[in-house]
Amino acid sequence: MSGSPIKVVVGKPGLDGHDRGAKVVARTLVEAGMEVVYLGLRQTPESIVAAALEEDADVIGLSVLSGAHMTHFKRVRALMEEKGLGDRLLTGGGIIPTKDQETLAALGVGRLFGPGDDPDAIVDYIRDWVREHPREDAV
Amino acid sequence: MGTDNVRIDDLSNLSAGVAPALAEGLWTSFWAGDRRACARLISKVENEPNAIPAIREHLAGKLGHAIRIGVTGPPGVGTSTLCSAIALGLADRQHRVGVIAVDPSSPFTGGAFMGDRVRMDKFVGDDRIFMRSLASREGRGGLSPSTPSVADVIEAFGMDRILIETVGVGQAELDVMNTADLVVLVLQPITGDAIQSMKAGIIEAADLIVVNKSDLPGADTVLQSLRFVYSLGSAKSGKAPPLLAVSAQQTEGIEELVDTIEQLSTSIVQSGRHQELRQMRLVEEIKSGIVDELWQRYLRQSDAERVIEEAAKQLVASGGSAYKFVREMCSKIQLTVDPKANA
Repeated sequence: MSGSPIKVVVGKPGLDGHDRGAKVVARTLVEAGMEVVYLGLRQTPESIVAAALEEDADVIGLSVLSGAHMTHFKRVRALMEEKGLGDRLLTGGGIIPTKDQETLAALGVGRLFGPGDDPDAIVDYIRDWVREHPREDAV
Repeated sequence: MGTDNVRIDDLSNLSAGVAPALAEGLWTSFWAGDRRACARLISKVENEPNAIPAIREHLAGKLGHAIRIGVTGPPGVGTSTLCSAIALGLADRQHRVGVIAVDPSSPFTGGAFMGDRVRMDKFVGDDRIFMRSLASREGRGGLSPSTPSVADVIEAFGMDRILIETVGVGQAELDVMNTADLVVLVLQPITGDAIQSMKAGIIEAADLIVVNKSDLPGADTVLQSLRFVYSLGSAKSGKAPPLLAVSAQQTEGIEELVDTIEQLSTSIVQSGRHQELRQMRLVEEIKSGIVDELWQRYLRQSDAERVIEEAAKQLVASGGSAYKFVREMCSKIQLTVDPKANA
């Protein structure tokens, strides 16, 4: 399926109204040729994973600036496993200390990005990850 | 290998162009009602056109009962919000509802920003409704090329009402007319005067017209000009389509709208129109299927792609006629049909 666009679900979990970062990243991914399903504000981990399931997304991207990243990323990752989406990438960004990033990485969360990161690095990371993790047809 | 005397009437390789069969597990899960399998199958249909014939063969016996309802209108009139309300209304009337929301792909990058779920967040996780966003990809008529097949997958999954929301349209994006059983056209106040409503195109294709955002000033003017235009007659059915004023956000008029959609659905089934539309779509599907199949066979048995490239290059330089070249190429193809085949 190398020719088909990468599909990414982008959302903001929880009570956090700062969506400029999510919009900038979504736009960057679109300009890189990806199909982005933008969920917007005040999502729950359940609603994000349910949307990713119906959309058959390759990637879930969360934006968390509220400080609740440990809760949200952990919960979304757990739900992904539970719903059979463990083979997809969970990535994202926000104000996330390195120590927390390491803890989350150990739980299966992918690379997380922050202020000052080059948006193109996100594109490259997603492209490489998807290339290295081809999906199998059997469900 | 040249293009001389290519035979495309050889039936021995009928399925040579069809992609490998899907894993058995996927179909088992799909028929067992696994939403993940449904989502995966939709991706197959979107991404692997070669796999569509085999997939549709699997689905064939399960199709023909769902009502496909196209929802279309100019950008920003509130089609997504309205679709969300209609989907919930239909689910509350004991239907299982599929929602296909198409948003535009960039002709420059191929990427797409799909925002319909922002307005459709009331039924996430609701088992009665299956929603899918589609990027329009190569589609230029308001839908993506795979939309009819995606609707088939969703219908076979068990949905009996399928909402198909087009990209925001102008005046003549009419794909929806050939894909849906009913067309709902959504407009809003301050949308132009009667002159706009008098133009040909999408306004003629509507089975139901909804003026959304009717809580805003100007709704009466739009309703009035539409009533005037339809009083002159309608090209599609001869009679004026129902005209409703609603506010999707204020949830005003939604019950009446869903009831009207239900009435129209019942009436096209009872009148036989539903089967007639399905038959018309099948005719088109068969025709384009034959064209695709013959074209694929032709490509497999020749290096037509290269010959066409080369010819185009020469035509640019020489200013010759493309149609003359087409006639020459076609004269080298032997297309014979067994006379018994059409008996």
